[in-house]
Amino acid sequence: MAEPQSWVPLGIDTNVPSMARVYDYILGGAHNFAADRQVGSQIEKLVPGLPSVARLNRRFLGRAVNFLMDQGIRQFLDIGSGIPTVANVHEVAQERDPAARVVYVDKDPVAVAHSQLMLSDNKNAAIVQADMRDPEVVLSSPEVKRLLRLDEPVGLLMLLMMHWVPDEDSPDKLVAHYRDALPAGSFLVMTHVAEDQIDDTVGQAAEVVNRSRSADQMHMRNHAQVSALFDGFSLVEPGLVGCGEWRPDGPGDFADEASMNMFLYAGVGRKD
Amino acid sequence: MTKPSRRPDAVPREDTAAVRAREALSRKWSYLLSSVVVVALSRDELDAELGAQLDALCAALHSEPFDPAPFEEVGERLVALGYVNEPGLKRTVDVLGKGLLTLEEFSSSDQHTVRVVGGIGALTCGFTAARARAILDQQESMQRSLLKAAHDAQRDQRHSEAKFEGIASSSTNGILIVGLDGRLAWGNESISVIIGRQPEPGTRLVELIAPNSIVVFREMMERVLSERGEFEREPMQLVRGDGEFAKVTLTASLLRDDDGKASHVLVMADDDTELALLQGELRRQSLHDVLTGLPNRQFFTTHLETVLRRADPEFGVTIFHLDLDAFGLVCNSLGARVGEHLLQHVARRLRAVMSNENAMVARFDGDEFGIVVENTALTPDVATTMATINADLGEPTYVDDHGLAVSVSAGVVHRPSPDVDPVELLRTADLALRQAKRDRRGQWELFHTNEDAAGRRDAALAVVMPGAWEQGDIGVVYRPVHDLATGGLAGVEALLHWDLSDRCAALADESGLILPMGEWLIRIAAGQAQWWRQRGELDQQFGVRLTHHQSTDADLVSRVSKVLEETGMPGARLTLSMPVGVLGVADAADNLGTLADMGVRIAIDDFGLGPRDLAWLSALQVVSVLVPKDLVHRQDPRSATLIPAVHDLGVNLCVDGIETAEQEAWWREAGADLAIGAHYGSPLDAGEFLRKLG
Repeated sequence: MAEPQSWVPLGIDTNVPSMARVYDYILGGAHNFAADRQVGSQIEKLVPGLPSVARLNRRFLGRAVNFLMDQGIRQFLDIGSGIPTVANVHEVAQERDPAARVVYVDKDPVAVAHSQLMLSDNKNAAIVQADMRDPEVVLSSPEVKRLLRLDEPVGLLMLLMMHWVPDEDSPDKLVAHYRDALPAGSFLVMTHVAEDQIDDTVGQAAEVVNRSRSADQMHMRNHAQVSALFDGFSLVEPGLVGCGEWRPDGPGDFADEASMNMFLYAGVGRKD
Repeated sequence: MTKPSRRPDAVPREDTAAVRAREALSRKWSYLLSSVVVVALSRDELDAELGAQLDALCAALHSEPFDPAPFEEVGERLVALGYVNEPGLKRTVDVLGKGLLTLEEFSSSDQHTVRVVGGIGALTCGFTAARARAILDQQESMQRSLLKAAHDAQRDQRHSEAKFEGIASSSTNGILIVGLDGRLAWGNESISVIIGRQPEPGTRLVELIAPNSIVVFREMMERVLSERGEFEREPMQLVRGDGEFAKVTLTASLLRDDDGKASHVLVMADDDTELALLQGELRRQSLHDVLTGLPNRQFFTTHLETVLRRADPEFGVTIFHLDLDAFGLVCNSLGARVGEHLLQHVARRLRAVMSNENAMVARFDGDEFGIVVENTALTPDVATTMATINADLGEPTYVDDHGLAVSVSAGVVHRPSPDVDPVELLRTADLALRQAKRDRRGQWELFHTNEDAAGRRDAALAVVMPGAWEQGDIGVVYRPVHDLATGGLAGVEALLHWDLSDRCAALADESGLILPMGEWLIRIAAGQAQWWRQRGELDQQFGVRLTHHQSTDADLVSRVSKVLEETGMPGARLTLSMPVGVLGVADAADNLGTLADMGVRIAIDDFGLGPRDLAWLSALQVVSVLVPKDLVHRQDPRSATLIPAVHDLGVNLCVDGIETAEQEAWWREAGADLAIGAHYGSPLDAGEFLRKLG
């Protein structure tokens, strides 16, 4: 008989906050545990507008996926997808075309398990448990092989993702690795905390995250640094702008408070 | 269960103006909602969805009889849209609460106001219940995910064994690994927290299960072992070490060995307490005021409906609608933060004062509070309850270093009919409150006095009072004002006396009789004073207390100057006092200033020893203040600390209601100058008073 030590694995300690679940909490969900809510409410205290930012990011996701659908994209690779809650990529895409295919990627085992349970009846959507810093693991996963045809344009989504990747891990090379695996006509969609648009309190909020027991550490970047991540992609209009400013479509797409619209940089680029 | 919406009898299908008005409202609703919710709908879809919901609500408002069920359903449907939390509910309530009544189709009848209010309440209830369910569902799905993650990782990552101990033991979920024989192989730290003891390996798991859960537990384990589903999940109770039961939800899943053969059962126990707390918190937030923690108006209204129905018909219920006096003044002079703390203090005190009663204290809006009391044989009458509240709040409290004493005014509805609509009832109480506040503070107004025994007695007395006065049954009596420093006589107070009631002046004030009677009191007292002075028997300062009505009487100055002229009494020998509560009324302040200019000495009655009261002293020409009996009896050292401030303003301080030598000594020590009360004898008629002095 196996030792009991083999029964409970790494990564399901609910005392350790998970950024995927913290995001869900800030968005207004209950797919989270006490430790997540504690970090969430701590940073919300520092940045009271954070629920708007989370919501704007979600709204941007919807507009970007719809834009990609308009451009003929029918397959999506969403990296750092987190807890798959309301208005997620497959919901938006498959609402317009049930044949649209979506592969989610996350390293958080609980987020992955949750996604698997939610997607169990959806033959055109799946999730890969992997660290995005291992592009080959992602790209050669059975799910990617089953659902995505890499010789046809793909929508590559990295929302609220790259600021978790430190410079030591060469974020530019990582994005380039994914870019090179995709054909011309593919799109990169990204949101990223805008270091040069935010004030000190956000720095303090980042500190809360970085000091928590979470393995994730936040690395903010300015406009030039985020633009550099789009190397090899041509930004579509209006370029890399505040999340609330990217082709807003209605009142829910931007916040009343201007600074919240600029909290995240958002951009969509087309591979040349 | 949801009922199908009734067909409305006034669907404005062809009425394009009405259709357009509804569309405008639903678009506004959609617009306001879209910036606080996360939903999977596009703008147009949300517009359409809310348009349909609005139509359902309008149909409900038109239906006969009114059925609020569709409102409740709309509350539920909002939750189902996605992440629609409290801000979404708040915006919905705001936009519909105002918007529905501005629709032309509902503006014709008052009845719709009541329906809209009731409907919005139902919507809130539906929302809250659905939201609580959604949270539970989401939490449950996360527990499943957690278990699946554990399960999958166990299958995939046998190499991570070494990390197990630290991780499992730090999990907040209780984790148990059970052999196929039902005996425990291993349990983590958290399970011992949940059940209050560390279960020994080898213990049969069934021994941890409470007797009332054993059947459920056995059935669940049978399903697990028969591999019908991936997980089984059941709420049940575990036996704690102390014999109590712990409410948990157990999730169980079969574990397999390398060959894919069943080897163990993984059982996770989540302590339902946290979930229950979360649910409770949600309910609390939507039904309670955040600042004070008291129930809000919504909750109060719903509660009112219940208590009206279940109240003891013999005693009924009493509704108080309270409003803090001069709250705006506190906020303006000391800041909003002090105001907020004051509201919290008042909330605590009201709850404490009502703690002996079956009562709900709620905060309405701003500085308004509501109380509903389910009366019993032992419930004090309205007057006593109001006096207790004002006496308690009149005790200065220290809020951010400002000593504040407040009073409340109230509208009271006593023993309303159980059939009355709660919203209508609150409007009635509000009306009575406005009445009470018209020009006075610290007052209350009863809406229906006819049911109340004490009120009936007072009303009867008020009716016979003019006759009693005419026949000489109401007289003037005198009592000494004692000088605390010398022990000698500092003055004489003249007051009304009637054998039938010790509230003579108060009753006369309520009926309005006080205006002629009060003038008569001053005239008799002044005449007596002159008589004694001319005969060389007594030469003293004479004091008379003015009531609220007298103080604001436009003819007060002419009445007083006429008396002084007729009796020849020097103005400086007369002291008139006004209650502090009336000073905010312009007429009273004018009267006070003119009388002071005439040389009459002015005192302030009911002086609360708070900074707000102190402020009047520098603003007005006051020589003396009278501290009321209840404050005097309390002997609060904090009151004493304010006495030097009174002296600094050149004002002396008189304490009312001294009954014992001990009280006298305490206030002398505290620095009071003058004293009145039973300790110095009861009020006597002129002859006896003089004899006793001699």
